[in-house]
Amino acid sequence: MDFSIRAANVEDCKDIARMIVELSEYEKVAEHVKVTQRDLEQDGFSKNPFFHGIVAEVPEQHKTKEGHTKIGYALYFYSYSSWSGRAVYMEDLYVMPEFRGKGIGKALMSKVAQLGLAAGCNQLNFTVLDWNKPSLDFYLSQGSVDVTASMGYHCMRCDGEALQHLAQP
Amino acid sequence: MEFKLRKAEPKDVSDILRLVKELAKYEEMEDQVILTEKELLEDGFGDTPFYHCFVAEIQGGNSSDDPKVVGFVMYYFTYDPWVGKQLYLEDFYVMEEYRGIGIGSELLRHLSDLAMKTRCTGMMFVVAENNEPSVQYYKRRGAEDLSQEEGWRLFRFDKDSLVKMGTPAEE
Repeated sequence: MDFSIRAANVEDCKDIARMIVELSEYEKVAEHVKVTQRDLEQDGFSKNPFFHGIVAEVPEQHKTKEGHTKIGYALYFYSYSSWSGRAVYMEDLYVMPEFRGKGIGKALMSKVAQLGLAAGCNQLNFTVLDWNKPSLDFYLSQGSVDVTASMGYHCMRCDGEALQHLAQP
Repeated sequence: MEFKLRKAEPKDVSDILRLVKELAKYEEMEDQVILTEKELLEDGFGDTPFYHCFVAEIQGGNSSDDPKVVGFVMYYFTYDPWVGKQLYLEDFYVMEEYRGIGIGSELLRHLSDLAMKTRCTGMMFVVAENNEPSVQYYKRRGAEDLSQEEGWRLFRFDKDSLVKMGTPAEE
């Protein structure tokens, strides 16, 4: 199937917002999504963006029954390793179910890798849910390493009241 | 002992690298640090910084001594498409002989305050599960272990596998 991969622009935010919700539903945590289309427009497409996006599109004749031609996306941003320097973090990677198995996910990830390398990055990091076997298998087959397993790294977060409390004098 | 916190400046890169290496040594990973002062300078103090730093300084014994950098935090901003901007804490370290006087707490307080002021909904970081003192330190302060509680695993493509993946497949 024909598809194209390109940088996201502000007009894509409606479809990206839709697919973010679809991905969260797949991850069984849709109630966690608070970010809106408007937030994405401001946070991703203003002078100092906090993330960048890539979109996968199919031609009109392959659009979904709801009429969507934007059928996959990746969100990424630049990060830093105090050990090895510039890094790229892939926050989301998603392809709509009916378009899977055609190399679109691989192409999106390859694009993130290319852009990261062009920016001088030495590693690409991302997280996967431990029950998400299709994704775990896919990423391992592409040559990634499970750093939580190999180095015992746990992802931690301080938010809400805990963050407010830490900020008190 | 009095200390003060300030934003890192280009002149601090050699101290930052020294402290990065000390922290890596504590984590038994000293040989993994391949970053150089030149990269720290370009990446932290160029047009588009990849990271930011605060340092903690102690005034020397005599007023004529230069102040000494004894602690630091390295951080940057990330994005969670579900809840928005996050502050990511990459490194947080105070030299052993200067612990216990509140430097660590003050660095963390400063960073949390910055997170709130910049409208980040959370502060994120990674801890090695066998680093018991640090795990407890953060849990006491209300940190959630997302790997344990939600099953998130951190994955990585290193440089070689990144190059392989970034090379378009032959048709």
